Amino acid sequence: MASTATDADAAPGAQPGGGAPRRRLRAGTGRWVLRKLVGASLTLGFVLVFNFVLFRMMPGDPAKTFLRGRQANPERLAQLRDELGLDDPWPVQFGKYLRETLRGNLGDSWSQGNRPVVELIADRLWPTLLLSGTALVLAALVGIWLGARSGWRHGQAFDKGSTGVAIGLYSLPEWWLGLLLLLVFASPAGLNIFPGGGMTDPRGGVDPVLDTLWHLVLPCTTLTLVYIAQYALIMRSSVLDERYAEYLTTARAKGLRDDQVLTRHALPNALLPTLTLFFLSLGFVVSGAITVETVYSWPGLGLLSYEALSGPDIPLLQGLFLVFSVTVILMNLLADLLYPLLDPRVRLS
Amino acid sequence: MSSLPPNGLTAQSASIRITRPGSRRGWPRRVAVAVLVATALFLPAGPVTATPAPSADDGGGAPRTTFVLGIKQDIDSLNPFVGLTISAFEAYQLMYDQLTGTSQADFSPEPGLAERWETSADGKTWTFHIRSGVTWSDGQPLTARDVAYSINRVTDGEQENTAYGNFVTTVTSVEAPDEATVVVQTSEPTPNMLRMGLPIVPEHVWRDIPTEQVKDFANTESPVGSGPFRLVEANKGQYYRFAANPNYWNGPAKIDELIIRVFANDEAMANALKKGEIDMLNDINSGVFESLENVPGITASSSRYSGFAEIAYNLGAETVEGTAIGDGHPALRDRQVRLAIDHAIDRQTLLEKVLHNHGTATASVIPPIYPNLRYDPGPDQRPFDLARANGILDTAGYARGADGVRAKDGRRLEFRLFGRENSEESKKTVEYVRDWLGEIGITVNVQIMSEDNLTELVGQGEYDMFQWGWVVDPDPDFQLSVFTCDQRSYTDGGEVAAGWSDSFYCNPDYDALYVEQKTILDPEARADVVRAAQKLLYDDVVYSVIWSYDNLEAYRDDRFTGFQRQPTDGGSIAFQHGTYTYRMIEPVAATGGDGDRGLGRHLALGAGAVVLAGAVVWLLRHRRRASADERE
Repeated sequence: MASTATDADAAPGAQPGGGAPRRRLRAGTGRWVLRKLVGASLTLGFVLVFNFVLFRMMPGDPAKTFLRGRQANPERLAQLRDELGLDDPWPVQFGKYLRETLRGNLGDSWSQGNRPVVELIADRLWPTLLLSGTALVLAALVGIWLGARSGWRHGQAFDKGSTGVAIGLYSLPEWWLGLLLLLVFASPAGLNIFPGGGMTDPRGGVDPVLDTLWHLVLPCTTLTLVYIAQYALIMRSSVLDERYAEYLTTARAKGLRDDQVLTRHALPNALLPTLTLFFLSLGFVVSGAITVETVYSWPGLGLLSYEALSGPDIPLLQGLFLVFSVTVILMNLLADLLYPLLDPRVRLS
Repeated sequence: MSSLPPNGLTAQSASIRITRPGSRRGWPRRVAVAVLVATALFLPAGPVTATPAPSADDGGGAPRTTFVLGIKQDIDSLNPFVGLTISAFEAYQLMYDQLTGTSQADFSPEPGLAERWETSADGKTWTFHIRSGVTWSDGQPLTARDVAYSINRVTDGEQENTAYGNFVTTVTSVEAPDEATVVVQTSEPTPNMLRMGLPIVPEHVWRDIPTEQVKDFANTESPVGSGPFRLVEANKGQYYRFAANPNYWNGPAKIDELIIRVFANDEAMANALKKGEIDMLNDINSGVFESLENVPGITASSSRYSGFAEIAYNLGAETVEGTAIGDGHPALRDRQVRLAIDHAIDRQTLLEKVLHNHGTATASVIPPIYPNLRYDPGPDQRPFDLARANGILDTAGYARGADGVRAKDGRRLEFRLFGRENSEESKKTVEYVRDWLGEIGITVNVQIMSEDNLTELVGQGEYDMFQWGWVVDPDPDFQLSVFTCDQRSYTDGGEVAAGWSDSFYCNPDYDALYVEQKTILDPEARADVVRAAQKLLYDDVVYSVIWSYDNLEAYRDDRFTGFQRQPTDGGSIAFQHGTYTYRMIEPVAATGGDGDRGLGRHLALGAGAVVLAGAVVWLLRHRRRASADERE
């Protein structure tokens, strides 16, 4: 037993650069990719089912929610239930739901004047991508820089200061920080230099692109500040791990300057966990920041979810949940698939 | 001004560290490329979602005046046969006319598209004479045929009927014998024929939209209307731009452009008003309202409004078919118990402590804003008197037990009282009421829930008491209908479905009065019956009406003037029955606010550009130094 295992384990190492292990690796990668794809599809299937069940468990009569306070006679209610397919047995409803969802039809909204849910979500997608995407990229960049520096100069004033600030910001609720920034930078009681909300000033007078960026500053800063800590802390601990590695001693021995040792040798290795985090966070870009969008009246998917909740607008909520879940699943899959390309160790294991 | 850098600086420093060239592994470069790609992906969003530059300043002539109204609840649809939110109806009023108008002074009917009208002797035939010379926004003339078409659309179309059916319940036929006359036949005399709140739409546009498709029609592409404004740009979730109609038959507006801008909450909207980003707001909570009082340049107005709040009782829930439903406490069917409770509610305290005096105490379901219709108990008004309340219960045989709680026939007076979680006023009111009722030997279990939840429970009769309210139309018909036997829940396919009744009141005398007022054309004679109906509700203690609340509004008095109230005597400025404010406001002469705004913004943008340029220069120099290092 023991000896065969050793033989098998030893085989790839025994033939460095040999042909056989390489083929095995490729076949293994294929199987591995397939496994990831199947896993993602299963999760997707579960989400589809869960989404259906969840919104049918909600209390209340959907037909009446739809009519919202309008006077409706029993005939109209019955007809509406028929139109909404509420009278069908649930397997039939599930079949319809599955068919329409796969066709890309998420139904019509109940609270937004019967607009197709897909159209509503598409309209609000870009503002959210702009806000959360920019914040995510900025947070990753700043976080990586802060974390790398803190870890490299472990225990120094910069490390203590930046780690303290990062943890402090991390523990703030987003909406509270948003309100604080709003109060300081966008209210007449404070500095009053930024707009108080929205994505553009409809009165115009300023170039629309600049105006949008101008409105983006505060909500984006809020999100960035909150997100930074995750990157800074993870980056810091991975740089700490690498700090005394022997290859760095070698690099120093070659005569490289300290910051060259960091950026060329320590950083690439230390970046891996941070990158994982980045890809995982990409999945949440779409669900974005419901509270920050609400504080800043930012017309994205977060605000749309908030509006949908007050109905409740079941088809819209269902559509949003689906889009949010699918993005997370896809981004996780992407991270899984990219990871072996980035880290040889994953390929070998 | 110095607070701009964070973004530029941090982004730049981070990219320096990572994009420094020459790394053999190529790792950092790959990250940098990824970041660039990501940024490139997100950046185009600006131009894509940003709207085309408005024609605000580039007309070449005099600067255009733009008035911005802030709203909290988005316009759900610009199609007048689809939308439901109050803001949507405000938009329809701007875009479309109605057959008749509602006067600014006292909500009485007044000429609209119909400049005059006659009724036949039996009161069943109405002849409306349509104004001549009115044109649609596409230049076509508006005729009686469009009017007849619009009304017929509502009577015949399913979707259209769901939205406006209550205006045409008695209409049997609508015809336009010529370009200027509309004849409406009704099955019985119908006083609210002069309050037909449905939009008059152009036949030449809407005949292409069959009724089955009307709910899918967005109506955002240059909709054609005859109202004082026309929709120019719709940006869902953000803002709606309307341009004034220069040919409006009732006099063009004095502003050029009206923007309705959507906010997510009261605080943001109030902040925008203080900053001068918007010029008017409406329906805010009292805390935010008080932050706007005494702000220079802002007038905060606690305007009289048509809404009231009440404590409602379960009078013994039964369906229309006569089946008892729910689990209401039987003691509340006893008028003496409700009477005692009514005496134990101190309306003056509630008004002061809960509503901060933004309203008036009232007793009837028609609020004081409609003085011609409202029943005022006068000397019969039931005073707050705990001793009297205790006396009533003693006499009625509800004796106090050992624990101080009253009981009769072995059943303790222990009631559930539901409050609404989205209303601070509701939550506070139920607490006060609980304490007062405790003093007359009634135990109250307060429960706070969502309005959806409460609606469901009330429809099933599963409640004892709750706090809620109504907003009352100028025509009393709907409000009075709520208390008729027919509006109780009914059985539908084995399940109990709710009507409008939330008291399960059923009194043949009341129903007779309701039916009678429905068909009296003379306003005075009808008002007498309407008051008699309200008196019955008051005497039977169907509700304990608490107050009529104000509409809390505010506007920039340093920028605009000419705001109109409806009713003239202290009424609302925005969200009126009509478009009085929007048509009459004009800019205050010599306004400096706009210039300041532009200057400040340009300064700040300039500062941002300088910082950005500095960052780029620094980056380039740093790169050069880095590559120099590399070559060493």
